[in-house]
Amino acid sequence: MPLRLLKYGLSRDYPASEDIPATPELKPSYDVVIIGGGGHGLSCAHHLAKYHGITSVAVLEKGYLAGGNTARNTTTIRSNYITPQGIAFYKEGVALFETLSQELDFNVMFSQRGQLTLAHSEATLRSFHSRAEMGKHLGTRTEVVDQKTVEDLVPSLNMDYGGALEILGGLWHADGGTARHDAVAWGYAAQASRRGVEIHQRTEVQGFEIVGDRVEAVKTNRGRIACGQVLIATGGMNYDVALMAGVELPIRCYPLQAMVTQPLKPWLNTLVSSVSLHTYLVQSSRGEVVIGGGSDPYQLYSTRSTLDMKEHLAEGAVHLFPFLQGVRLLRQWAGITDMTPDYSPIMGASPLDNLWLDCGWGTWGFKATPVAGKRMAETIASGRVPDILKPFALERFETFQLLNEMGATAASH
Amino acid sequence: MNRLPAPFGTRIDRTRPLRFSFEGKGFEAYAGDSIASALAASGQWMLSRSFKYHRPRGVFSMNGAEANTLVQLPSEPNVAADRTPVSDGLQVSAQNVNGSLAHDRDAIIDRLGRFLPVGFYYRTFIGPRRDSWLKFWEPMIRRKAGLGVVDTKAAHRHFDKSHLHCDVLVVGAGPAGLNAAIAAAEGGADVVLCDENPEVGGSLTYGRHDPAMLADLTARLEALPNLRIMTGTLCNGWYEDNWLPLIQGDRLYRTRAREVILATGAIGQPAIFRNNDLPGIMLGSAAQRLIRHYGVRPGQKAVVLTGNDEGYAVALDLVEAGVSVMLVVDPRVGGLPGPFEAELHGKGVAIQKAVTIDAAEGRGGHLARVRIGGRWVECDLLTISVGEVPAWQLPCQAGAKVGYDAGIGSMSLMPARGSVQLAGSVAGDNGLEGAVAGARRSASIALQRLGHVVAQDAVLGKAKPSCPAHVQPILANAKGRDFVDFDEDLQVKDLHNAIKDGYREIELVKRFTTVGMGPSQGRHSALATARIVAEATDRTVAEVGITTARPPVGPETLGVLAGHHEPLERRTALHARHLALNAAMKPVGAWWRPYFYGDARGAQKAVRDEIMAVREGVGLLDVSTLGKLELRGPDAGEFLDRLYTMAHANQPVGRVRYCLMLNEMGSVVDDGVAYRMADDRFYVTATTGAVARVYADMLFWNAQWRLKVDVLNLTGAFSGLNVTGPKARSVLEALESNIDFGREAFPYLSGREGVVAGVPVRVMRIGFTGELSFELHCPSSLAPALWDAVMEAGKPHGLTPYGLEASRILRLEKGHILIGQDTDAITTPDELGFGWAVSKRKPFFVGKRSIEMRARLGQSRKLVGLQFPAGAGDIPGESCLALRGNDPVGQITSIGFSPTLGSYIALAYVHVDDATEGSRVTVKCRDGALVEVPVVGHAFFDPTNARQEM
Amino acid sequence: MNGPRNIDEFQSFGPVRETLDPAVTADADWSRHLFRAENRKGVVVEWWRHVPSNYFFLAERDLVSNEIIRTFDASQRSGQS
Repeated sequence: MPLRLLKYGLSRDYPASEDIPATPELKPSYDVVIIGGGGHGLSCAHHLAKYHGITSVAVLEKGYLAGGNTARNTTTIRSNYITPQGIAFYKEGVALFETLSQELDFNVMFSQRGQLTLAHSEATLRSFHSRAEMGKHLGTRTEVVDQKTVEDLVPSLNMDYGGALEILGGLWHADGGTARHDAVAWGYAAQASRRGVEIHQRTEVQGFEIVGDRVEAVKTNRGRIACGQVLIATGGMNYDVALMAGVELPIRCYPLQAMVTQPLKPWLNTLVSSVSLHTYLVQSSRGEVVIGGGSDPYQLYSTRSTLDMKEHLAEGAVHLFPFLQGVRLLRQWAGITDMTPDYSPIMGASPLDNLWLDCGWGTWGFKATPVAGKRMAETIASGRVPDILKPFALERFETFQLLNEMGATAASH
Repeated sequence: MNRLPAPFGTRIDRTRPLRFSFEGKGFEAYAGDSIASALAASGQWMLSRSFKYHRPRGVFSMNGAEANTLVQLPSEPNVAADRTPVSDGLQVSAQNVNGSLAHDRDAIIDRLGRFLPVGFYYRTFIGPRRDSWLKFWEPMIRRKAGLGVVDTKAAHRHFDKSHLHCDVLVVGAGPAGLNAAIAAAEGGADVVLCDENPEVGGSLTYGRHDPAMLADLTARLEALPNLRIMTGTLCNGWYEDNWLPLIQGDRLYRTRAREVILATGAIGQPAIFRNNDLPGIMLGSAAQRLIRHYGVRPGQKAVVLTGNDEGYAVALDLVEAGVSVMLVVDPRVGGLPGPFEAELHGKGVAIQKAVTIDAAEGRGGHLARVRIGGRWVECDLLTISVGEVPAWQLPCQAGAKVGYDAGIGSMSLMPARGSVQLAGSVAGDNGLEGAVAGARRSASIALQRLGHVVAQDAVLGKAKPSCPAHVQPILANAKGRDFVDFDEDLQVKDLHNAIKDGYREIELVKRFTTVGMGPSQGRHSALATARIVAEATDRTVAEVGITTARPPVGPETLGVLAGHHEPLERRTALHARHLALNAAMKPVGAWWRPYFYGDARGAQKAVRDEIMAVREGVGLLDVSTLGKLELRGPDAGEFLDRLYTMAHANQPVGRVRYCLMLNEMGSVVDDGVAYRMADDRFYVTATTGAVARVYADMLFWNAQWRLKVDVLNLTGAFSGLNVTGPKARSVLEALESNIDFGREAFPYLSGREGVVAGVPVRVMRIGFTGELSFELHCPSSLAPALWDAVMEAGKPHGLTPYGLEASRILRLEKGHILIGQDTDAITTPDELGFGWAVSKRKPFFVGKRSIEMRARLGQSRKLVGLQFPAGAGDIPGESCLALRGNDPVGQITSIGFSPTLGSYIALAYVHVDDATEGSRVTVKCRDGALVEVPVVGHAFFDPTNARQEM
Repeated sequence: MNGPRNIDEFQSFGPVRETLDPAVTADADWSRHLFRAENRKGVVVEWWRHVPSNYFFLAERDLVSNEIIRTFDASQRSGQS
């Protein structure tokens, strides 16, 4: 038994460690106002406080802490992207996850058991080679594997030899993994608040006071806050919040659904996703099998679930693992994703001098939580966008410098 | 044996005994028994070990709502023993035990509990090394995780799906649901009534009620032809627009109802005190279900805890079932006795008021005694009747809001306005009278909304609660084991500690402690959790709320959701011909296509032979999978002008033109050819993978442009045969035809309609292979006949059918691109060197404005040909990187060995400055080796096109 | 056209977009137009396709509640949308 647990067993009273302080009164002004108390906002707050000495920070969350997409995603962490810019960015993200539990002194359960993406067609296999070549060149562990290796990695897979969906090979990404999504946010919240950052739950932004090219103040349901710098990191609400500041982002919102089975004894060791079936599966450390797929096919701001998507995901899961027929589903849910035209985030400057963007995360936001927070904190603290973020600037849509991630499949967030 | 004589045991058939096993030991049962009832009949009360502490657990609700009764079947984990019928020979075992159910080595964890506080795993298992979690701690925790075991070799089962439509769907066939369904059907609506139980009646089948009431309702039900009764059917979710999944056995009914009445009842709640999870402690309704449904005596010596008159009915039932009722404990103070209480007074049963039970103790994994006001009372059964919550899941999915009624200490539901009504206890309608009134009210509203005339007096208000209800206190114990959530082994202090750690919002409490996340999804814990959090955070229960009710309502198998889904597969009309020729078939998108002909072991030689046959003689390719679209109407030319980059309005009849499609961003999305058959008629091909989208886009654009043109998708209706090679003309001229295939009569890039070998065809002279080619398209039903005729006519010329792989090499030798392989989402025509295919004169086509703009912004890459010297050592594969310095600037998109040229050739994106012929490009091979390759033009073979135009 | 049908029979083609004259639009305005997203909370007018019948029509839909307010043929479309 780890020694840390002794203090619980031997203490008379529960030795509480307050991860999330009760919401304090709002002050009239802060150096930095972070809109959105999800993983990204909290990560940025932590990095501002710990590495840049900026502690006059308010994180505003309209609901409960990390209750948006941080709470709803299926926790995939990977860096096997298509473009060199994307790979470089997410590679740094994976590296930060590798030491995150130590950084936060909070176990985020980063479980780097690898991700296997399946190809049922030559076209998919070709795209895997593309990702593997770029990934290897940039120093990530990404390789195309043959049928035999696929079978060795996941022996219970239906290879469908000779069938229309025969698995021809896979993209094996040994760096891939999952983490406990809530813990990431809570860990950042605990660290940030211990350094003086204020976290305001049930605090909704209702507008901005803009003078010239600057945001003077943020208007909330609990009052007005004057601000030095402002960050928008509100996930599915990014379009909406930015619009209040007069900034129209090229973002469309689509629901993304997922579901989970009852707990089972572990049988699936890696993340498995299928491009053709738009389905992926991962078994959590609780034993539940989390199943997800692509976004809904039309824009919507609702987190309702649909029967059609559930049936579709079940079809894919049962095709890959036919013995799951008898396994029971426990729950389905949805988040709202903010999709950009090139399936890549928008990070950096906005048309306003002191308003910063951490938006357009679509279905890939969770895996970027540490790196986006770190790099946005650097941006806000220095007023300069670091090179690693430059390709993700909002202006790219005006100059046609799109990131060529559009081939990225929705089936492997 | 705990069996009771008839009339107890309405579900069991005593003439049909069965045998089954549990934990390797033989048990007897009757047909109709659930696993749990049959085990209980033989005195086996312990069914499982709990998730975290491995404590003994048994029947609690007898209604399949909690993890307590989950057992393992050989190929099915997590089966609810209290809902699942026994079948003869069934092998049942316990889950989540280390050793056996009776002797679980992990039961030691129960004693170590104080070292494992709520959320302990966040606070530790971090070090000592960076990868300690992955390498050491997580594997240890994973071994302890989960409940049931999946059988990866499980036999395939058949599931299917069906559709249902009705005016009114009534969910729940208890007293309220029955009355509502009857009222709606009598009012003229087409009604479906579903209930998850094997019979209708709900509480009327197990509660202490006059049997005549159910008999009367059943008779009225059966007299209604417009009422369909579906028992054993779980309505497992509500989705937008009254779209509901009804699950009956292995079938999913996707159901559309115009109106829905939810009569889903209420969920009995546990009482919280120390050791409240012992087997032998169950809801009063569970005891009644055991007695009436299964004829099982739920214990020998009972204590009844009740905060309402229902508990007295339970006590009366227990007495009748031969159970010694030691004591009825009623925490209420004052009030008038209800009818059952009055009846019990005559039975000599001790009743103790104004006290409650604050602890229990077990012996051998079963309840042994309970403590009341400091006094211990021996018993092996404790029934709980201390209140219930409305079954909120379906109503909340349908938009109802949850409130809290402090008067009854329970939740109340405020339904959303619209087509979903609530009736009975789910609506707070009290007792049988209330249920009947609620049923009539909801049926009237539904009928009115459907346009039926309803008598005014039928629309009634709600019945008032008869007496103030008892609010059961939450009796936290200093030593814990006072469980709020049985599934997740959570005690009162766990919730308090989470709040102390800052997790004050109900959703955070849930996420930090996992309360409500187990198989029962909060049925027995949501109310208590809300009360505990409210008290600890100084808010009202209504402010705290409960967590979102997400579908499904109860666990459902992935099999029933997936149905008998099969992936879409398409075969061309010539499929059988390919098989007869021993083709190696491969799936390409949805289609099966010949990859090459012959034995797989000789693949390389077969492909090479097929290529050489085309280059030196003549080959035949099945191109039926190509998209085939016919555009008709006076604006057809104008329409193509707007959609494609080349000019088509001025295209002469009988001519064929290449067509290149861009999206609005100016990226290349498809290509094909357009054959003008008449002034107002074009035949256009699209790539196999893109045709569905191209067809939809054509219709979409024309919905906006509103030009006079119709688009017809002939992809399946027409088949295509490509006859290609220097001898192609000779083959066609050998066939009986009214088409002149002569060089002058039928030049390159022209098309003809006619008859070949008795088959009506449209023929185009195009050249994907770079050889003289005729592509013959005909109705699919006639394609096999045309194929046979061409094969026959080709015999003297050595006509060779060739497959997809040879086709790819042939086109690569000619430098033709494949959309999607040699292009990506941002490829422009300029990057392909396709300036020739883009009209400079047309004022508009889709993507024009964007490619002009993109040209001004500058081009960074270009697709070029690369030719490797014959005999070169390191040959890169597809997708290998083109580098400049160490920076990736492009990739190889296609590569293959050209038997014609005797060397490897490739198409690749390279930096625009390296794109001139003769430049040398660095390519990184898969193994990391760097090679330098010279850039050549696209057309490696016959760059002057002499061969295809001959 | 055929009465209420299941959503799985329909395909979304996104909100109706304003039409710009490419000839008189500056590059920056053109790219803004291309990538502009109609994503305001509230009612949008969208193109939808009924797949079995290949009929394209317009629908007013609430992006928050997902309620379809009305559907109509493109010929009934007023000039401003």
